[in-house]
Amino acid sequence: MDSDSSEEPPVDVKKRKRGGNAKATPKSKVKESVLKQKSPAEFFAENKNIAGFDNPGKSLYTTVRELVENALDSAESISELPVIEVTIEEITKSKFNTMIGLVDRERVDEELYDDFESVKVREKRLLKEARVQEMNTKNAASGKKTKEPQQLKTIKGRGDTSFFRVTCKDNGRGMPHNDIPNMLGRVLSGTKYGLKQTRGKFGLGAKMALIWSKMSTGLPIEISSSMIDQNYVSFCKLDIDIHRNIPHIHLHEKRDNTEDWHGAEIQVIIEGNWTTYRSKILHYMRQMAVITPYAQFVFSFISDMQDKNVTVQFSRRTDVMPPIPPETKYHPSAVDLLLIKRLIAETTKQNLLQFLQHEFVNIGKSYAQRLIEEMGADFSSKMTVKSLSSQQLVRIHQLFRQAKFDDPNGVCLSPAGEYNLRLGITKELHPDMVATYSGSPQVFEGHPFIVEAGISLGGKDVKQGLNIFRFANRIPLLFERGADVVTRTAQKRINWNSYKINQTQDKIGVFVSIVSTKIPFKGTGKEYIGDDISEISSAVKVAIKQCCLQLKSKIVKKIQARERQERKRNLTRYVPDASRAIHDMLKETDLDAKRKRPLPDDYIEILNKVSTNEITEATFRDKLIQHAEQVDYEMALDYATQTGIIEEPREDIYIKPYEENRKFLDFHGTNFVFRFIV
Amino acid sequence: MSEKKRRRGDGTSSSKPLAKDSVKHSSALSFKNRLKSDSTILASLEKLCRDSRTSSTSTSKPLTLTDLNLASTCREVSDVDPESVKESIECTILAAAKSILAGEGFSFSVPSRSATNQMYVPELDRIVLRDKSSLRSFSSLSTVRKTAVTTKVLSLIHQLCMKNIHVTKRDLFYTDVKLFQDQNQSDSVLDDVSCMLGCTRSSLNVVASEKGVVIGRIVFTDDGDRIDCTKMGVGGKAIPPNIDRVANMESDALFILLVEKDAAFMRLAEDRFYNRFPCVIVTAKGQPDVATRLFMKKMKTELKLPVLALVDSDPYGLKILSVYMCGSKNMSYDSSNLTTPDIKWLGIRPSDLDKYKIPEQCRLPMTEQDIKTGKDLLEEDFIKRNAGWVEELEIMVKTKQKAEIQALSSFGFQYLSEVYLPLKIQQQDWL
Repeated sequence: MDSDSSEEPPVDVKKRKRGGNAKATPKSKVKESVLKQKSPAEFFAENKNIAGFDNPGKSLYTTVRELVENALDSAESISELPVIEVTIEEITKSKFNTMIGLVDRERVDEELYDDFESVKVREKRLLKEARVQEMNTKNAASGKKTKEPQQLKTIKGRGDTSFFRVTCKDNGRGMPHNDIPNMLGRVLSGTKYGLKQTRGKFGLGAKMALIWSKMSTGLPIEISSSMIDQNYVSFCKLDIDIHRNIPHIHLHEKRDNTEDWHGAEIQVIIEGNWTTYRSKILHYMRQMAVITPYAQFVFSFISDMQDKNVTVQFSRRTDVMPPIPPETKYHPSAVDLLLIKRLIAETTKQNLLQFLQHEFVNIGKSYAQRLIEEMGADFSSKMTVKSLSSQQLVRIHQLFRQAKFDDPNGVCLSPAGEYNLRLGITKELHPDMVATYSGSPQVFEGHPFIVEAGISLGGKDVKQGLNIFRFANRIPLLFERGADVVTRTAQKRINWNSYKINQTQDKIGVFVSIVSTKIPFKGTGKEYIGDDISEISSAVKVAIKQCCLQLKSKIVKKIQARERQERKRNLTRYVPDASRAIHDMLKETDLDAKRKRPLPDDYIEILNKVSTNEITEATFRDKLIQHAEQVDYEMALDYATQTGIIEEPREDIYIKPYEENRKFLDFHGTNFVFRFIV
Repeated sequence: MSEKKRRRGDGTSSSKPLAKDSVKHSSALSFKNRLKSDSTILASLEKLCRDSRTSSTSTSKPLTLTDLNLASTCREVSDVDPESVKESIECTILAAAKSILAGEGFSFSVPSRSATNQMYVPELDRIVLRDKSSLRSFSSLSTVRKTAVTTKVLSLIHQLCMKNIHVTKRDLFYTDVKLFQDQNQSDSVLDDVSCMLGCTRSSLNVVASEKGVVIGRIVFTDDGDRIDCTKMGVGGKAIPPNIDRVANMESDALFILLVEKDAAFMRLAEDRFYNRFPCVIVTAKGQPDVATRLFMKKMKTELKLPVLALVDSDPYGLKILSVYMCGSKNMSYDSSNLTTPDIKWLGIRPSDLDKYKIPEQCRLPMTEQDIKTGKDLLEEDFIKRNAGWVEELEIMVKTKQKAEIQALSSFGFQYLSEVYLPLKIQQQDWL
């Protein structure tokens, strides 16, 4: 893990940039102001589906995931093992109304409402209920289990979305007191400079959740935050002025920090739908736990109905964190004209040579000189970079496209790592077997990427067939799996049979994590990676195949072990059949029959013994079983000499340190100590 | 010869460029008009018959493996009487018993019947089995089951030989369903036992159920009863599964017509084709079973009649032909008793499709598998030996079209018996 001091600068830079950009009004705003004069906040409010806020259900899901990903980033940025608590609390309508100070009103004109029950419908319902009742009593009488009458459905109308308080608490960096309003109440205020492997999809984070809360409930967002060694907790209650894209602060104060806590807690009240997105949210948490086994997640859902409540804890299984992805510079083949202009505007370098040399990867000094010479007569190393005309920029851009550059290396990437992936899979799925593989960095359009894969067999909560888990930049992808490169590869391009895996019968978990400075998402929702990029699809295929190869040897060993266990049984299974058949034949063999060739003496002796019952069926049986046992023993010896005693490589296990402060009572012996918890 | 015929066929087609239906009918008619009187056709048949007799008498004694000095490297079985079968089973079992009592388990030496152990002998024109054999041990995981099944089958055959009765393969299987699991297993072990003991399967007193049918100008005795195959109605006489029962073959036929399919067989039987052209008609309804092949062989050797074959124009039809002529790989150990060499391919040949103007809708495109089988067949020795066949097969693979015998029914149901076959015979159009 890097030391704290080395991590501070980039974050500071980022923060400064955020402020700077906000003042200079982001590009998108400039563009839109010409057309319609819309603030970015307005734009996202109107096109909320882009950011994953298609409907109340998905909005709930996206809110959770944005908050969780922010929290993870925050904790990782200070190299703190993340502890994240997510709570979704259902708020009934009446509770919500009282919360916003609206008096509950009884319905007066019943027929006005969509869920009004006409006389006919009511009769039908009553009849049905009576029937159910009757059946229940009958079942009760006959001792059968009765089904709970499903009254929920009749009470709840169509698409009944309700309100939820989503709270996410982390142990991360926290936010400086004065920056909180701007960090959360201004959309596109944090456009990132440079290039970096990031979790978020748009960098909208909690801001989009804030817009959604503004749209659906109108309630402000509440933030508590404290930074390390800060003796107070900042508390802020704010919402966003969508039209002006500025925070609207309700309350901003400092409170006492009693628990020595650092991090942030964000609470937002939104409209959502738990019933339809329950499984998605739980899947998300589970997959997040797979890819980040070094984090501790507590997820709980609280509602008025006790039986619907859920609390899941995904506990930490390792304290090894992948390094924070460092910022990197652009690869010349990955920039466009606009980007070159922006880089020039932002650079601190004076002349062209320095600009090329320092603002891009894989351009050394001599190479930069060669490039400048190649650009033509009106370019020189010493010319000031800010004075370049737009024609000259086009020339640079063209050269970047055509010239040959070394591929970017993967040092700027931070993959989950085989160790973590393996741990994550093991801890969440408890598979019978698991294999992982980490590919070497590869390049697509100037952006490096690393593909890691894990294959598991068996385990709990895994269905038969292929279970595909996709991760991009260490966040799970749950939607639009059908067209994804991982799904396609696993289903179409892997011949599972050749690895002794049954594609339909076995419980196969396929985990593929792709990290890159730019994930080539497809579709507006950024939920899948297209199958048409041959670099990525071949890397995925190789990774999966490598895992399968590892598994194959394990599976073969397992089959051998099973054979060994069953060997004796199989060897002796047919002894009765064989001995009976042989004895019968010998019994019926006529000694005195005329023969073309006379029988040798030892054969005659056997036949005599059979006829005098000296040799019986049991004799053959015993002899055969004896021989089978001997063979079995010899084969076992063979097996042992071939494979050795240690069958599987041992793996390190992680024992969670005992965190709570307890008192102990020690008993000291001569060379040991017993420590009891008091 | 075939060149000339093809040209003639082309001429008729170009002369009548009428509407599709009338072309079809007129071409069918034109073929019919070309038929000469039955006596002329019969004359050509008689010539064929004479040729075949002289050729078979000239090589009076068929070649054997010993003649070719292959006896040591190849394995062949022969008909053996039940007593000897019993004796050799007893010897085998006593050897096993001795080994068991010595505490060494037991094993059988079973000749390998795999494809790698087969060999085509051009001089004999059939597939024979080489002498490689493997040890089937009761104390090896992979063979323990098969050894147990073999022991059981041996004991069953031992009983059959003692009582001298015959059972079908199905009967054998049902004596211990639990051990055999499915009939394929007992069947394949039965063949193994045949090889082991060096006797034919019929010597083991195990027969397959009846499959083949014969009708026409042949008289023989089945277990002492005289059978006249012209008086068998339309269905014909089922070929007895136990060839030993068949004796005293007599016939005034001029040739044997081998038909692949039941449907074509029925057509010919109902039209009493064998009365117009004296012949014996045989079908095995697809792949021939052992009994039909034995019967075929017996007819050919005893009556010395030429054999003409009517099969589908597809690779599968040729495969069936090859089984009659050269034997199947599965039964190669008994190929000397099962194969009937010198069968003439009468029809339907790929070149007939155009020659007889079989309409497009009656032709089928060959599947990938068909084409592959066709190409594989081109590599087979027995095809390569006959240049005419190679030519035909190449046409098939090239046009990628196949047709069944039934395709001729598009010219009328009786076209096969009244036009196609007589014309083919008249033109001596066989290969």
